Amino acid sequence: MSFHRIDPSGKGKRPVSFIFDGTRVTGYEGDTLAAALLASGQMVMGRSFKYHRPRGAFAPGSAEPNALVTLLRGKFREPNLRATEVEIFEGMRAESQNRFPSLNIDIGAVNGLAGKLLSAGFYYKTFMGPGIGPLRSTKFWMLAERFIRRAAGLGRAGLAPDPDRYDRINAFCDVLVIGGGDAGRTAAEAATNAGLRVILADANPPKGVDIDGAQTLSRTMVWGVYDGNTYAATERVADHKSARAPGEPRQRHWVIRARTAIHATGATERPIVFPGNDVPGVMLASMFGDLAKRGVIPDGPVAFFTNNDAAYQTAADLAGSGATIAAIIDARVEVSASARALADLCNAEIHIGRAVTGSEGKSALKAVTVQQFDAATGEISGEPVSVQCSTVAVSGGWSPSIQLASQAGGNPQWSEPLQAFLPPEPAPGQDFHVCGSAAGVFGRDEAKADANRAAGIAVAKLSGKKLKVAPRPDCYHAYFAAPVHEIRGTKKSQKAFVDFQHDVTAADIRLAALEGFSSPEHMKRYTTLGMATEQGRNSAIPALAILGGEQGRSIAETGTTRFRPPASGVSFGVLAAERYGDLQPGRLTPMHDWHLANGATLYAAGLWHRPMIYGRAGETIEQAYVREARAVRMGVGIFDVSTLGKIDIQGPDSAKFLDRVYTNMFSNLAVGKARYGLMLREDGLVMDDGTTWRIGDIHFLMTTTTANAGKVMQHLDYCLDCLWPDLKVHLTSVTDQWAGAAVGGPFARKVLENCVEGAQVDNDAVPFMGIVHGTIADKPVMICRLSFSGELAYEVYSGAGHGQQVWDALMGAGKPFNITPYGLEALGTLRIEKGHVTGAEIDGRTTAHDLHLEWMLSKKKPFIGQAMMNRPGMTDENRLSLVGIISTSGKPVSGGSHIVDEDELTEPADSLGHVTAACYSPALEKYIALALVKNGKSRIGTIAYVTAPLTGQHLPVEIVDCHMFDPEGRRMHV
Amino acid sequence: MSDHASPLGADFKPGQFGNVARGIGVRLSEPQYGYLGELAAFAGSGEAILKLVRNAAGQPGAVSFPIAANRWFLAGQEGMDEPVKAKLKPSDGTLIDLSHGRTCLRISGPKVEWVLSKLYAIDFGLTAFATGTGLSTTHHAIFTQIYRHDGETFDLFVFRSLARSFWHSVQRAAEETGFEVV
Amino acid sequence: MTRDRAQRPAGIEMRITCPHCGPRDLAEFYYWGDATRTMPELGSKDEAAWLSHVYNRPNPRGRHSEHWQHLGGCRAYLMVERDTATHEIFSVIFARDTAREATK
Repeated sequence: MSFHRIDPSGKGKRPVSFIFDGTRVTGYEGDTLAAALLASGQMVMGRSFKYHRPRGAFAPGSAEPNALVTLLRGKFREPNLRATEVEIFEGMRAESQNRFPSLNIDIGAVNGLAGKLLSAGFYYKTFMGPGIGPLRSTKFWMLAERFIRRAAGLGRAGLAPDPDRYDRINAFCDVLVIGGGDAGRTAAEAATNAGLRVILADANPPKGVDIDGAQTLSRTMVWGVYDGNTYAATERVADHKSARAPGEPRQRHWVIRARTAIHATGATERPIVFPGNDVPGVMLASMFGDLAKRGVIPDGPVAFFTNNDAAYQTAADLAGSGATIAAIIDARVEVSASARALADLCNAEIHIGRAVTGSEGKSALKAVTVQQFDAATGEISGEPVSVQCSTVAVSGGWSPSIQLASQAGGNPQWSEPLQAFLPPEPAPGQDFHVCGSAAGVFGRDEAKADANRAAGIAVAKLSGKKLKVAPRPDCYHAYFAAPVHEIRGTKKSQKAFVDFQHDVTAADIRLAALEGFSSPEHMKRYTTLGMATEQGRNSAIPALAILGGEQGRSIAETGTTRFRPPASGVSFGVLAAERYGDLQPGRLTPMHDWHLANGATLYAAGLWHRPMIYGRAGETIEQAYVREARAVRMGVGIFDVSTLGKIDIQGPDSAKFLDRVYTNMFSNLAVGKARYGLMLREDGLVMDDGTTWRIGDIHFLMTTTTANAGKVMQHLDYCLDCLWPDLKVHLTSVTDQWAGAAVGGPFARKVLENCVEGAQVDNDAVPFMGIVHGTIADKPVMICRLSFSGELAYEVYSGAGHGQQVWDALMGAGKPFNITPYGLEALGTLRIEKGHVTGAEIDGRTTAHDLHLEWMLSKKKPFIGQAMMNRPGMTDENRLSLVGIISTSGKPVSGGSHIVDEDELTEPADSLGHVTAACYSPALEKYIALALVKNGKSRIGTIAYVTAPLTGQHLPVEIVDCHMFDPEGRRMHV
Repeated sequence: MSDHASPLGADFKPGQFGNVARGIGVRLSEPQYGYLGELAAFAGSGEAILKLVRNAAGQPGAVSFPIAANRWFLAGQEGMDEPVKAKLKPSDGTLIDLSHGRTCLRISGPKVEWVLSKLYAIDFGLTAFATGTGLSTTHHAIFTQIYRHDGETFDLFVFRSLARSFWHSVQRAAEETGFEVV
Repeated sequence: MTRDRAQRPAGIEMRITCPHCGPRDLAEFYYWGDATRTMPELGSKDEAAWLSHVYNRPNPRGRHSEHWQHLGGCRAYLMVERDTATHEIFSVIFARDTAREATK
């Protein structure tokens, strides 16, 4: 064992038992997984990405590069969680990653022997180069990739669905304070006391003391900054719990809109890179502090390796907890008196002007090698001395956590004394203030003073008062680090890792520089440094120092890469949040429940759920729609038209408005009549069609196709707002106000006669396109004689809340005539027989001429689209135009098939057009279709072929006029 | 009383649901307004129409709030529109009956702001969204007009065809705090 | 009455300050496009003017005026003046107001 608990009973803490790699482990509440594992003697927690080297925990919190684990919830796997962040709970099951068959024996470790092969750019050079030889082809890469991806990698995502639920919530505040340390809490308190609405987001568990008046979000990681002070955060609501309360999400996605923000995000310690630095037991000094806080301290002697004074305090604290400090190895030539005093406190020998140049031990550390080191030149000299130790605490100084500030700001500023980047100023339009160690102000009192200062600025700005800004307190000099980031070994030295997660070594970075990848952005992509979960928290600065060193540039000159969201790992589940399963809401008509109860198979048309067929036992879809369509032609059918878009148009200029947006005239339409209308886009193509009813002198009801309802409404809004603002017209969507039932067929009038009260429905009272008001089942209805099916037909509209009662009454009245409900398939059949167009033909590419609707283009008045509709390309006779198609082989034609001249397809042929809709026609007793065909009119009466090479279909068809059934329209005018 | 069939159908199930162990976070109901409609003014007639809006909103149980520039939503008892119709000049503006076209869902209780914050990107704090005011917004594809009766009570007016789907979304959002359908 | 809200500096926004509804998330708005063109009079036979209106869109890097519809709110078309490079929004007004100016 290399770590133990100071008080094995856990000082009254409850023991927590969990499973790691199949073995039961006991920790105590408040432990991270890393702390519990270390205390139970588990030093190795992962295998490295490329070389499969044994690795242990290294850094506290989200900066941890090595100890990545997968948590199992039932069959669901959540990979790549940091053991240093995961809070243990009773019954938790965790697995280590990237090892086979186990953590301690890993056959992949043979990669380490082939280290040269896997240096920077290895994959590109080996597999993606020019195709010379069998090993350099794309094909070989594809084959090799499968194995490489398996061997190299982090956790494995599972295939089981996530059993948990996730939530999303919106929040608003004056000040968002990020970070719950001393600075964050101080700033939050100050802003709250000034009367502002404050949210404090803290990545850690609750501290137990709430700030009165502020909303505190614990276990909440802010990971993204977006335009306009919009912040994204993840709250781990129940990650640390064994069970969920009903409705409790595992995680919650917060979108916080703040007027301003205070970033008190703290600082993270960074390592010094040295040969042999990846042996389990080498950890950041702050990791020892994190463990000691949880009562877990090292058994054996600890060697400190530092370039700054701050590590001395950690050493003294650790000694105070009972640990043995073997030595403090300091790369600097001078050490302050206060640091010496701290070293004396822990009885540690100080090795000044020395550096660690190697480590002994493979999966557990035994000793480190120490040599003389010249901080100015980086040269190593003298005989190696071995210092016995079981762990190494390394400290290369502290880097402010500027990820969020960088996302929302300009370029970070390099600070030479801190050897770190300071947060940038906010970009124009963003507003935030950074305080405490995140701004390079270390030390508790200094950080608190800085937080008060930041809060003061925020308060003054938001309340519009004059700013009185106190000067920023001095930085805390113990954190000033000597510019030592790497101890460069000799050729014989062990590997020196910069990015543990992607196994990027100092040598890899030098290779990248040598090969010309000299900008940090290029080096990052070439070596993949800083691209894994820790996002460069440990590796960025040493890497920049090495890269700059190769080119004789300082870090300030080299610059850094820009941070982008997310600043730390985010689960897909929480991003999807409530949008699970069916992503869209369903729109239901007033008769929805009736359709379901009467055997309807529903079809999703946009958001609407519409009956496709009302199938009977044993019927195929085709049998069902043929029966339904035949009933409409022979008897009477009823169809739910509630989904048609309906727009109420009112105002003195309504008729003038309709004349401009429709191609045909509406100002001369009589009150109580309806008219079929056609709308063009500005470019002259057809936009939509539908009927519009004149209900009153200045009151119209426009219907649109179901699919285009929203688009047409937006177009009309645009016309009134941006084109003709002086027209006195109001539009309101009334699609949901009306339930609609289309009653069609030879007996349709008889059905209405059986149930309509207060109005006549004979041919004189309701001629074609006539409107009448009456009641059905005591409910007011509005009836218009319209026909899409080509039969004698009426659309009966009632208030949506009365829709079912009216429908029931119509069904009752139709019973003597065996009234048949029909669905979209039968409707499609009826309209194909008649050659009526829908969205399949109004596809954004067709003109009124193409669809033989030129008779609707008024010459008496201007309208939208008129100016562009007669351009040469729009009237070319070779354009695709609408025709009918009859299958001469007696076989069905499928929609989407192409039309060709060739009776056999041996090689690709020119397409003459395509089938837009196809069906079996009970009226014609043939398989028929509508199609858009080049110069369609000239081909009427000729034979062509429909072809669908993917399905192997190739059938002869006759091209006919699109009006295939009752072309004179006699049936609907009876 | 309205004789309109509810769009919620059998999916309206009274009872307590979700995490009710620590009490009821919100109550959900479908209040029956006898009249819903919109009154809109043409440019220059805003004042005249606003007078009509105020008269209508003065009736017992009636509410009104602006949903767009020169456009107000009205909700109240059946016949609420009669006095408006009598006084409305066609050149001033228009009135449209939406009694069938919109459905009102009421949500009230101590956790109402929390639950609504899951559904809408709107600041429901009392200082930002005052009692007696309303607004138009969207929950994904579901357009909603929201009116605040008091600190803990909101009416959500949605398109009737979307009401049942939305009802499920609201209930799901409320599970965490526990809810009662009344 | 609510006009004063629009005159506040809007800043760089994931939110657009609608003159009626106040600041709202981008998701409530529908991008309609360039607002610097004027449609020729209906009935105009000036083919070049029509072609230019229908097909030519200025696409500047920097300050630009665009139409956005507040589809998820008051449904009004807005004239949004913003910087296409930085997303900074300078002003938001009802499109109806500018359209009315233009037709006078």
